[in-house]
Amino acid sequence: MAVAQLKAEKESDDCSLLPLVHDIIKCMDKDSQDVHQELAKLKAKIQEAREQISNMPGIDCSPLDQQQQLATLREQVRTKNQLLQKYKSLCMFDVPKAS
Amino acid sequence: MGLLACYYCCSFLSCRVVHSPVGGSKEPSGNMTSLPALTASAKMAAGVEKATKDRLLSVLGDVEVLSRELIEMLALSRNQKLLQPGEDVQILELLVQRDREFQQLMDVAQQQGKVHQEMQQLEKEVEKRDSDIQQLQKQLKEAEHILATAVYQAKEKLKSIDKARKGSVSSEEIIKYAHRISASNAVCAPLNWLPGDPRRPYPTDLEMRSGILGHMANMPTNGVNGHLPGDALTAGRLPDVLTPHYPWQSSDVSVGLLPPHHGNDFVLEPPGHNKENEDDVEAMSTDSSSSSSDSD
Repeated sequence: MAVAQLKAEKESDDCSLLPLVHDIIKCMDKDSQDVHQELAKLKAKIQEAREQISNMPGIDCSPLDQQQQLATLREQVRTKNQLLQKYKSLCMFDVPKAS
Repeated sequence: MGLLACYYCCSFLSCRVVHSPVGGSKEPSGNMTSLPALTASAKMAAGVEKATKDRLLSVLGDVEVLSRELIEMLALSRNQKLLQPGEDVQILELLVQRDREFQQLMDVAQQQGKVHQEMQQLEKEVEKRDSDIQQLQKQLKEAEHILATAVYQAKEKLKSIDKARKGSVSSEEIIKYAHRISASNAVCAPLNWLPGDPRRPYPTDLEMRSGILGHMANMPTNGVNGHLPGDALTAGRLPDVLTPHYPWQSSDVSVGLLPPHHGNDFVLEPPGHNKENEDDVEAMSTDSSSSSSDSD
């Protein structure tokens, strides 16, 4: 559990673009020639984030809509389970066994 | 329209094409004091309906534009010193806010991915339940068909039972009738029956003509068939010329059946008829009767 949480935090930190912006500003302050490289990193990071967003499942709707869909599905499963239980609990005929 | 004015519409992406580069016309810095509250309310209003993907892309675009603006602003400020003091700090604050919002949206997107997996499992479960219900429905329909057939057959049997009860015949009558038809040797020849014995196991001509076949023979076309004349049939006996006369018949019977001009010694001998043929016929009839009686 703790490992998963740490992993999630790490992923959340990875999403931040501020470290790259900070590196660029530092390079600008130092008049370093690495600023172009840092800018390319930022651009690549943004592009990677866009692709990641495009491939993420289940975000084509808002969380509220998704929760409603989830509730609907749960209701369907519950209703169908009740229907099956109702069918299975119908009066069964006692078929005499051939002795 | 400057960068800060674009922030009101909560989307830098849509306004990015009309952005003036850093150093262009800018809003007064005093207008930016109420920006966070306005953006929060606008975000709430837009976030209710927008999909998470759209919001993520929008915020990512904002971060990209803000980063570029900040970098360009810093670069220009180092060269020309034209910027008003504090503006870069405000852009930096906006950038931090947008970055935090982006991370929060990424967390929401990850949670939505988990919910999406759960929804997929639920959909599979729904499909499985649907197949179970359909199979059960099919079995119930088969059972209904079998039960309907059984009920129909049972109703038919009840109808036949009611019909039999309405036209019921008592067992005593059946026994009496059995005694009556067996006493006359109509169904079975006596054990000591021999050819020539009048106790025959077959119906007499009178009995035959009083039955259904005899009534059918009474139809008008019978005369045309040429078997027997109508008056002879209605009389219930053969014409005199066809009435066989056997030696064991008593004279009273023959006198009663035959016209007066026939004597006791009258013997009918049709063409081709002789004593041997007659014996064969009687033996055959005896055999048939015995076989039928055996079958009974």
